[in-house]
Order: sequence, then C-alpha cells, then structure tokens
Amino acid sequence: MVTLTIDGKEVTVPQGTTILEAAKGVDIKIPTLCYHERLNPIGSCRMCVVEIEGFTHPMAACTTPVEDGIEVTTNSERLTRIRQDSLKLILVNHPLDCPICDKGGECLLQDLVYDHGIDQVEYTAAKIERDSSYATPLIRYWPDRCIMCLRCVTACQEIKGIGAISIKGDGYGAQVVVVDQDKCQSCGECLQVCPTGALTADLSRYKGRTWLLERVPTTCTYCGCGCQLELNVQNDRVIAVTTQDGVGVNQGSLCVKGRFGYEFINSDERLTTPLIRKNGELQEAGWDEALSLVAEKFSAIKAEFGGGAIGGLTSARCTNEDNYLFQKFMRAAVGTNNVDHCARL
Amino acid sequence: MAEILFSSWGGEVVDNRSKEGQDLEPVNTVELPEYFRQDEAVKALMGWYGLVIRDPETDIVDLSRVYMKEIQEKSCGKCFLCRIGTRVMAEILERICSGQGKSQDLGILTRLAESIQESSKCNIGQSGPIPILHALEHFAADFEAAINDKKVVPAGTYHSKLTAPCMDACPIHLDIPTYVECIKEGRFQDSLDVIREKLPLPGVVGRVCVRPCEEHCRRMNLDAPISIKFLKRFVADYELSKGKEPKFAIKPSAKTGKVAVVGAGPGGATCAYHLTRMGHEVTVYERFDEPGGMSAMGIPDYRLPRTILREEVDRIERMGATFNYESSVGKDVKLSQLEADNDAVFIAIGSQLGTTMGVEGEEENYDGYISGVQYLLDINQGRDPYPAGKKVVVVGGGNVAIDCVRCSFRVDKPDVNLVYRRTKNEMPADDVEIHDAEEEKVNFHYLTHPVKILAEAGKVVGLRCVRMELGEPDESGRRRPVPVEGSEFVIDCDIVVPAIGQTQDLSLLEGREDVKTTRWKTIVADEKTKQTDQPKIFSAGDCETGPGALITACAGGRTAAYSIDKMINGESLEYTEDDNFDTFFKKVKVFDQAEDLGFLGGRERKELEMLDPDTRKFTNDEVEQGYSIQEAMIEADRCLRCYRVATVKV
Ligand SMILES: Cc1cc2nc3c(=O)[nH]c(=O)nc-3n(C[C@H](O)[C@H](O)[C@H](O)COP(=O)(O)OP(=O)(O)OC[C@H]3O[C@@H](n4cnc5c(N)ncnc54)[C@H](O)[C@@H]3O)c2cc1C
Ligand code: SF4
Ligand code: SF4
Ligand code: SF4
Ligand code: SF4
Ligand code: SF4
Ligand code: FES
Repeated sequence: MVTLTIDGKEVTVPQGTTILEAAKGVDIKIPTLCYHERLNPIGSCRMCVVEIEGFTHPMAACTTPVEDGIEVTTNSERLTRIRQDSLKLILVNHPLDCPICDKGGECLLQDLVYDHGIDQVEYTAAKIERDSSYATPLIRYWPDRCIMCLRCVTACQEIKGIGAISIKGDGYGAQVVVVDQDKCQSCGECLQVCPTGALTADLSRYKGRTWLLERVPTTCTYCGCGCQLELNVQNDRVIAVTTQDGVGVNQGSLCVKGRFGYEFINSDERLTTPLIRKNGELQEAGWDEALSLVAEKFSAIKAEFGGGAIGGLTSARCTNEDNYLFQKFMRAAVGTNNVDHCARL
Repeated sequence: MAEILFSSWGGEVVDNRSKEGQDLEPVNTVELPEYFRQDEAVKALMGWYGLVIRDPETDIVDLSRVYMKEIQEKSCGKCFLCRIGTRVMAEILERICSGQGKSQDLGILTRLAESIQESSKCNIGQSGPIPILHALEHFAADFEAAINDKKVVPAGTYHSKLTAPCMDACPIHLDIPTYVECIKEGRFQDSLDVIREKLPLPGVVGRVCVRPCEEHCRRMNLDAPISIKFLKRFVADYELSKGKEPKFAIKPSAKTGKVAVVGAGPGGATCAYHLTRMGHEVTVYERFDEPGGMSAMGIPDYRLPRTILREEVDRIERMGATFNYESSVGKDVKLSQLEADNDAVFIAIGSQLGTTMGVEGEEENYDGYISGVQYLLDINQGRDPYPAGKKVVVVGGGNVAIDCVRCSFRVDKPDVNLVYRRTKNEMPADDVEIHDAEEEKVNFHYLTHPVKILAEAGKVVGLRCVRMELGEPDESGRRRPVPVEGSEFVIDCDIVVPAIGQTQDLSLLEGREDVKTTRWKTIVADEKTKQTDQPKIFSAGDCETGPGALITACAGGRTAAYSIDKMINGESLEYTEDDNFDTFFKKVKVFDQAEDLGFLGGRERKELEMLDPDTRKFTNDEVEQGYSIQEAMIEADRCLRCYRVATVKV
C-alpha cells in the first residue's frame, strides 16, 4: 500500500493505482475527457493534469501511478490555465453543430466547456479539409467534430482486438482514419466510447434529442449471451440502442446485431396478429382461433402417425425459461423427443 | 572557435550581445560546430534545449518561424495542446514574417508556449516551445519590430531534424520511440515494420545487442532505462510464435544492377536485405555452410538460438537474394571475378582470427591451447574442442572471454577460470554477462596476467601468472595494470583459451593496392558512405571497424546498400542531410545525463525471467525468457517519447 495526499487529504491505495483513481476514492473530482474506465489511459486531452510537490512539470493524473509520500494538488491557477487552453484549442474550428448534433445534451465536451466557462477563443488556425470516410456505413464520422481523444481507436484495438481504425497525418492534419475496412465488424464499440458527436449512429440521425428520450433497459434477444442494452425510445419508436459501461455480461459492448438490428421493432412489415390461410390467402386471425387450429391439426397428426411425426424447433431469442417449457410441452403433451434449438450449432 | 553571441542552451543564459574582447563570456552547455557541411557555416541553432546564436545577422523571428513549423510537422497529433497549439503558434509566426503581425500576437505566443510546454504528453510538445520562450524573452525587441514594421521578413536557409537520445545513440538510428509506442498500443506488427525499415534482424539484435540506446535513454534520469532491446525481441518472437511470414515491400530503384556481397554475417545480411528491397540482384558468398558470421559461430546458443538467426536470414533469401554457402572468396572465387561480374562488391568478412597473448609457450601449439574464436566455433558446431581437458583458463575481459567461460560448462568442463589483468570495474564485458557468469560460478581471477603456458609431453598442464596492481591511467583513461614483483603463481589447468582480441584475414584482397588497409589490418572505407578507394568496392562491419558490435555491422551494411544503390543510379555519393546531422549531434549532444526532467519517476523496469543458474549452465537452452504480451506493454508504457527537433541556420 502507498500513502499520499491529494489536496491535503490523506489517501492509502495499492501500488500501481493512478492518481486519478486514488482521487476518486476520496471524492476529489479531477476533470477528464479522454479517460475511459474500460480503456488503458490514453493521455491525449491533458485535462487531468495535476501538480506534485517538488516536481516542476504538471503530470496527467490518469497515466501517473502513485508514489509513497507524494503531495498532489489538483487545482491551481496554472492548472486552470492549462485546462482552459486545452479546451480552447479544441474549439478552434469546432463547428457550431450543437443544435443539430445527435450528442447534444450528453456531450462531454459541452459539459467541460460549460464547467470551465469558456466564452471566447482567442486562438485561430486555418481550417483543414478532412476525410469523413469511415469503417462502416452504420456509423457516420464527423471529422470536424472529432477532438482526437483517441478513445475510438483505443477501444477498437483494446476491447475488440481489431484495429480497423487508426490515426494518420501530422500535427493539426492528424485525424482518425480507416486502416482496414474489411476487419471492421460494425460492432459500434467506437461509437459507444466517443465522448462527442464525432461518431453517430447513422440510423438514428436527427430522430430525437437526447433529453427527450426514454432509455429502457432490456436484454438483447438475438443470442444466448444475453447482453444488456437500453432501447432509446421516443414517441413509442425505438430510435437507437445504447449501453451502460460496466453493466451486464457485456460490460457495455455489443455486436452489430444488438447495436443496430432494432429497426424490425417498428417495421410496418412486422406481423402483429397470427395469419391463417383461407381460400389460398393469408388472412388475419385471433390467437384463440389460430391456437385451436394448430391444436386440432397436431391432434390429428398424432392420432394418425403418432407423436414422433411431430418435431419442435425453438429459438435462441427465447429465454431459458421459455425454452424449458417448450421442450416439456413437446415431450409431455405432444409426446415427441424431436426438439431442437437454433443455437445448438 | 568563432565567438557565440547568445546562448540559452540548457537554461544557462550567456548574452554577449553588448560585450567585447575580454568581457565575452564562454558557453559551457553546448559546443556549436563551426560547419554543418564543408561550405555551410553554422550561424545559429534552435532546439529542444534553447537557442544558440553565433552570427549577428541571424534573424531570430525567421528562425523561430522555421523551427515552429518543423515542430508542428513532427507533432504526432496524439495530444490536444501540441497538435493544435503548435499549429496556432506556427501560423502566428508565419503571419508575423509575412508582415501581418498583430499587437496581441506575442502575448498569445507566450501563453500557448507555456501551456504546451508544461502539459504536452511527450517531449515534442514539452521541449518544442522552450527555445521560443527563450527567444520571446531575450529578443522581444526583434519580434516587436517585425510586428510594427509590417515588412516581410526575408527567409533564410535552414536544416532541421527530428531525433531522440536513444535514436541518436543507436548506430543504425532505429526509430525507437515509435516502435516502442506501437508495442504500448498493442500494434506489434506495426512495431516490426518500423524496425524492419532499417534492420532485418530484430530477433537477433533483440537478444544480443550491446544496446548503446539504453545507455542514452532519458528515462534513466528518472528511474531506469527502457528495455529497448528486449522489446525488440518481443515483437520478433511474437510474429514467429504466430507463424506469420512477414511481407517485405520491394520498391525497385529507377535503375537496378548486380551486387556481390562477401560474408553472410550481420553486415552482409543487412546489406543484402536493403539491396534486395531496392530491386537489385544480390548474390551473397559465404565460406561456411550457414549464415550469421560471428553471431552464429561466436555467440553461443544459450544467448542466441541459431534457429532465430537462420530464420531471419532465410527470409532475406526468400525475398530474392541468392546465398552461395561454402563459397570462400579468394579461394573458390576470386574477388577480381566478382568485380568483373557485378556493378559493385560489398565486403563484410568480419574479424575472425584470434590474436595471440604474446606469452612464452604460445607458439608451441600444445594440445589444449585453443584460441577463443576457435573454441566457440567448435562448441557452436556441436564439438567439444578438446575432450581430454577438464580445467579451463580463459584469458581476457571482453564479451568473447565471458562467452568462452560460460560455454565451457556447457561442454562439461567442471572447473572454469577467467584471468583478467585489471579489476571487475574496468572489464569491458557487459555487466549483465559478468553477472550471469558469476551466477554460474566461474572463478574470476582479477589483477592477474599470464606469463607462460606450462606443458608436459606436448599437453597443457598449467598457466603461470603474475599478480597486477593498478597504476597511472593510460590514454583510454583506465588505470594501467603493472606486475607485482615476485608474485608469480600457477593455475593448474589443461586448457588455455586466449580471448583477448581478434584480427582480420584479408587474404582475399591478394595484396592489391587500390583497396587501402590500416596497420591494424582493417579495410579503409569512407566513414559515411562505406566506399573504399576502389569505387566499385564497399566495406563495413568488423573488417572495416575492427572487432565491434552486431548493430554497428548492420548499420554499416545498410549504409553501404544505399551508397551502392546511388552509384548504380549514377548519383553522387555526397553526404546526406542525415550524415551531416550525425556529425553535428556528436558535438551538440542529444542526451544529457544531468537533465532534471521534473517528473515523478519510480516505475520499475521489467526484467526478464531467467533459467536457474545451477541447471542452465549445463544446457544450451536460451537463458533469458522473453516478455509476455502484458509485460511488454507495461514496459513500453514507460517510454517518455523523447523526440526533439533541431533547426540549424546556415
Ligand atoms: C564470441 C563473440 C561474442 C559476441 N557477442 C556479441 C554480442 O553479444 N553483441 C554484439 O553486438 N556483438 C557481439 N559480438 C560481435 C559481433 O558478433 C560482430 O561484431 C558481428 O558479427 C560483425 O559482423 P560482420 O558482418 O562484420 O562480420 P562477421 O559476423 O564476422 O561475419 C563475417 C562473415 O564473413 C564470412 N567470411 C569471412 N571471410 C570470407 C571469405 N573470404 N569468403 C566468404 N565468406 C567469408 C565469415 O564466415 C562470416 O560468416 C561477438 C563476437 C564474438 C566473437
Ligand atoms: S465498429 Fe467496431 S470494429 Fe468497426 S471501427 Fe468501430 S470498434 Fe472497430
Ligand atoms: S471519433 Fe470520437 S472517440 Fe474517436 S477520436 Fe474523435 S472524438 Fe474521440
Ligand atoms: S449484442 Fe450480440 S452478442 Fe450480445 S446478445 Fe445481442 S446478439 Fe448476442
Ligand atoms: S508529438 Fe507528443 S506532444 Fe505532440 S501531439 Fe504527439 S504526443 Fe502530444
Ligand atoms: S524514454 Fe523512450 S524515447 Fe526516451 S530515450 Fe528512452 S527509449 Fe528513447
Ligand atoms: S484524462 Fe488524463 S489525459 Fe485525458
């Protein structure tokens, strides 16, 4: 264990803890922008700089491990100047997109600029034309909104182990680029960690403001993993899927189906009642009528050919409980062992 | 040396602007070279440590503009302040120089320079603004005048270069900060690509390099240097463990030709690699039946498994180079023939003969008297050099001597001694090697010097030695050992191995005069182009430098490849910008051991797991076990990315 003081408060933490983590433990909030709990510290934003007694250079709290006996200061005139400059520089040529940005209202950049009361930027630089192509058509990249925090690149590399995106170019010309389009799985990990509106879900564009949304926690129904997600609902329509970091078996990650495969929910082509073929045409029917018809036909088949003539196939999109009941029903009521499941592959 | 007008290098300000004659203060923090190249005098320098001005005509505003533009171009874009801030600064300076400066510009420059310098992620941003701050402080009037006069500032002539302490110290100038950063980010293949841009043998060099880079690693000033060598090994091993065949991009030069390479050691192999990459038709002649030169015949398997070496050289063959093994130049094929058949010949035959100690009994060729190089060659080829012998005395204090003693255990010699005439402190061998030999229980006899080899019936039976003491320092700065009178004694032994040096077998030259040699029997080649006095013949590696290090031989091979390519393309072999900066940085030191970084350190260097000394010493299994992925990434994360830029006004 290592003991240090942060803003005069004594903290004891295990060796290897960063100053940022140690500060969290005693409720001292150090501003961060590029830091993300699920990623190794990136160190790109420099918002988290702190001073350590006896050392001339401010250091990033997110990347610096604690040492015994150090005295850390998280606020000073100098640190405020640095943080303000960092934000001001980000705002150089940042588009005035907030009114139409899908992230508006829950953008970390907005929050920090607000917190630091930045009302004017005296720095200028010539604008650069940037390439907006991206690894997947499901995600739109807005290079002018991108602050180059590198969370996306890091997430794709560290969480997914893929590395479909990287950064290219020198100095102000550097930007996020696609390095391997074929590798991208459209999982949306990058989208999930982006703190700004630089990456947006293209299916959701302009469909709803963040503060008007209802987020309904639920379980993904596509496969047996059971990832936790939130359906973003506005006016009874699902317009996006998001996740909470650290929640569920998926800890905030999803695959392409879970993240983007929700449009069927509100699809006009979706069946909402059973259909029965009458006179060669499928016609809407009630559940009672449909179920009676099925029971009737099953009984007839069973009487003539025995239960073994009937088989049941169920879906990975049902819960374990549903699947249990299904096989029980097939065995006990229908009298067959021909039961199978699409996820048994 | 011409007087320095102003210097703020290293934070020590010397201002001679209004001084004359005896009042002129000397500059102690830097030695500014007089010339950048023959026809270009150095007028001023702007760099990571400050500002040095010699010529009063230097326009400080223009110099700042050029330097800042360079910083912005070298900024990697991975942190906010440097990526955008240096752009804002560069544009302001550009504007001032075009006569459109504004009154608020200087305030903005100062504020931004401070913020960038104080909080950037790496040394580009941390050091970049330093000389600008010095300039703004000490030459404020010049900047104000440029803004007020609204005149275009005439542009001067400059040379700029990006370097880093480790990179500068590496003989082949590997881009260490980048390859280490790739590892930190988990991009191992990218890391290898960076290394292979210059060096085709990462697995070999990653195991046995003498690592001058680590001795110049800035992290040393905080805690301990980055494990640069083993990180290189890690990426090479990673690729091998995945069974991946590297893709080498071959980019043919405008004109390609035929080149013969003599010797398949590190120098020859590296030269063949680069020439093949440039599309030339390369044939390598090697007298043994396997590649690697001293790294195969000298360096034992427990330090460098030959499978690693073989695989890395075979890849060069698969790229397209032809290797003719068991083909000795001078015997099987004449050098003159190679010259006639090729556009150029590269000689890298190494330094392969052992030198004698000059003691009594050495000429008798007793059984049990074996030169160090021969001793290792035998063991490396799987032979016990002298099965009858059990008690070994190795004479010498270098790496070869240590390899001889450690190898002895591995051919079942139970009693192993090392005789060295100075103390452990003066021993030129690598500290790590000495430590490992101590662990394996070699008997070290320091301050001991051989006088006579004792023999009976033509067989070695002992070595008579004399005790030494350290006297006055000699020209190498080490204290000269002098014999203590009457202190002679005998070490009983049946094998004596002199490992005190090597020399070159230049018989392939057949005494020709157009390729000059030195009195130490090394080939004379131009330091930067590796061309000999015979324009078609190039040479590097141990045969040119004398016994040296692997990476130096590789660096020489690479340089020669580029020179040969130029020659084939009819270009002049004039020194390049990089060559000139190489010379420049010998004076303007890139690494300062006394630098106070101002950061918190205390992050331990990750050492490798080792096999147990008591068991390893009887096997040829590799002693050092490489990093795991996690260990490598943690170690790489310690790197401070000490890139820095120098701009020289000529
Ligand atoms: C025991 C020992 C241990 C060492 N340990 C280290 C170490 O740990 N780290 C390190 O950096 N350096 C080490 N060195 C030094 C390093 O091995 C050499 O500096 C390096 O191998 C030199 O490379 P080279 O290509 O110049 O020559 P060499 O490696 O000597 O290769 C020359 C090649 O040319 C061939 N050749 C010679 N004459 C002819 C001819 N006439 N025709 C055809 N082929 C010919 C030889 O067979 C050989 O293959 C060690 C050296 C020795 C002897
Ligand atoms: S969608 Fe997934 S795979 Fe594609 S770039 Fe983003 S994180 Fe990488
Ligand atoms: S796209 Fe988003 S996550 Fe990626 S660098 Fe830009 S702002 Fe950061
Ligand atoms: S998000 Fe993907 S992996 Fe997770 S449950 Fe849904 S379909 Fe399965
Ligand atoms: S070069 Fe260094 S200081 Fe500059 S942007 Fe990259 S990490 Fe930051
Ligand atoms: S810390 Fe990294 S960049 Fe700096 S000298 Fe060491 S290896 Fe090179
Ligand atoms: S949060 Fe630490 S540098 Fe961004």
